[in-house]
Amino acid sequence: MELFLQTLINGLLQSGIYALVASGLALAVGVVGIVNFAHGEYLMIGAFLAWAGSAYFGIDPLLALPLVALAVFGVGALTYRVSIRHVLLAPELNQMLLTFGLGILLQNLALMIMGGNTRTVSTPYQASSLSLGELSVGGPKAIAFGLAVLILGALYGVLYRTTLGRQMRAVAQNRRGAQLIGIDVDRVYLLAFGVSCALAAVAGVLVSVLLFASPTVGLVFALKAFAIIVMAGLGNLTGVLWASVILGLSEALVQTYVPGGGGWSDAVFFLMIFGTLVWRSYQGAFFRRAT
Amino acid sequence: MSAAASMPASRRAAEFRWTKLLPLALFFALALAFPFLPLGDRREFLLQIGFFTLVAGILALSWDILARSGQVSLAHAAFYGLGAYGSALLLRAGLPWGLALPLAALLAGGVSLILGAVTMRLSGMYFAIATLAFTEVLRTVIQNLPESVAGGANGMLVPALLGGNSRGQYLVALSLLGLTALVSLAVRLTRLHHAFAAIRQGEETARVLGVSVVRYKLAAFFISSALAALAGGLYAGKTFFINPLETFSLANSIAPLTTSIFGGLYTTLGPILGATVLRVAEELLHNSVKNGYLVVYGLVLMLSILWLPRGIVGLWRRGRHGGDL
Repeated sequence: MELFLQTLINGLLQSGIYALVASGLALAVGVVGIVNFAHGEYLMIGAFLAWAGSAYFGIDPLLALPLVALAVFGVGALTYRVSIRHVLLAPELNQMLLTFGLGILLQNLALMIMGGNTRTVSTPYQASSLSLGELSVGGPKAIAFGLAVLILGALYGVLYRTTLGRQMRAVAQNRRGAQLIGIDVDRVYLLAFGVSCALAAVAGVLVSVLLFASPTVGLVFALKAFAIIVMAGLGNLTGVLWASVILGLSEALVQTYVPGGGGWSDAVFFLMIFGTLVWRSYQGAFFRRAT
Repeated sequence: MSAAASMPASRRAAEFRWTKLLPLALFFALALAFPFLPLGDRREFLLQIGFFTLVAGILALSWDILARSGQVSLAHAAFYGLGAYGSALLLRAGLPWGLALPLAALLAGGVSLILGAVTMRLSGMYFAIATLAFTEVLRTVIQNLPESVAGGANGMLVPALLGGNSRGQYLVALSLLGLTALVSLAVRLTRLHHAFAAIRQGEETARVLGVSVVRYKLAAFFISSALAALAGGLYAGKTFFINPLETFSLANSIAPLTTSIFGGLYTTLGPILGATVLRVAEELLHNSVKNGYLVVYGLVLMLSILWLPRGIVGLWRRGRHGGDL
């Protein structure tokens, strides 16, 4: 029973980061209408910035978090201006491939500059842990989860309580309609894309503390984010939270209870993406709306 | 995808002239002459680059054939890998290369029919992600199978193609690229071309026009995957050693896609030219930069989409798109 509860807690804590990455991606897909295959690379940039801040200036990654978020927001906004903006009306294939190219470019630039090694960030609270009766929770994990919940709360607050958030949701629902009632769609796109990248970067900072920073660290998280938004259904932002929890829990369960689980958990997760996509495609309506 | 869509098929067919095959014929003539040139000290190395360029050409062109039916796949690494592993396992079972390679291609084609049938209703990003997930599942399965089956994560050894004769290997690869080009031309010049184009431009419309979408989409999958498996088998026969991480790597799905777009989508010459330019550029970079030489692929892909959406072939073939040779 303890093992089971421990597994559930680990899975839940893991899902905080998944939700951060996936909400960012859902924002790009839902509002801007761009499937950003380079999403994981912004996470990677965030992780490296956190590592650099800690290694060269001794700044705690969690304190550097707002700065990293702001910096990557800028990078995202720039990306939108110089590339994404020019393919908004192009066929979906071209948009997809453009971000794909961007992802390969960023990842390999990182490889060129930083080399293929992983870099860990050491923090004073690294080895700390909280214990609740028989269960124990790693300190960094708990902090990361708390931060993820806070930031997601703020994001949903902005989306549902402010004018900008309403504008974003209006654009997500109907691009032309939003334009007709006087919303500056281009500005909304820029902000949404920037925020999307910043969310990935925030997740990256947390990943640098929990895991490590490396040029390829983003890919796995981006794929999981795809799985989550596909499970949630496009543009469904609250669904993202539930889907993240489901993915986090099922991963933890496989890792604990399937023999040799570490190796197979990837397969399970990809099977989930595959199965969900195929299952949804036979349900019909969902995909017609999306394309 | 846009300008060509409005052009009636009959007019495009009427535009066909045999002279259009000249650039392609020129490429093959040059490629055939290459291994007989006095290449000097670096002969082995140059032949090896040539060989992998041809393999990249087969992979890219086979991807393009599938893309013509509107299915932008990220599963080509899977069929490449199936070709490599299929050949390796059949060779281990005692079959000669001459049987192992075609059988592996048929195996990959068979698997592709299953994938194609299951993903039939997906399109765009959903199709791309589903095919990517399929590849990863396949890789993880091979990686986690007991080592006695297919070597697990450590990979397995493969007997060299033609006992390691470089010129012979190059010529085998060249003839298989020739076969792929012939298949591609056949697709272009038969009714398959019109069916694929119709499906690509609008599946519903194609169905209304009486195109049996299911059959043609599966046909595209089968042809394309069998050819991709040939490329994978060649790769295995040249490197003697295959492992799941490298053979099923995402890079093997990205390379054919980038190559085709850079060279010119929906053409026969485009992917081949693209492969030649990109592979040579990659080799040059590979020597000077240790890590991250794939940067070229990312950059080329972005720049092609932004400024050269019709690829290098489109540079001199103005005004037509989507139905060129």
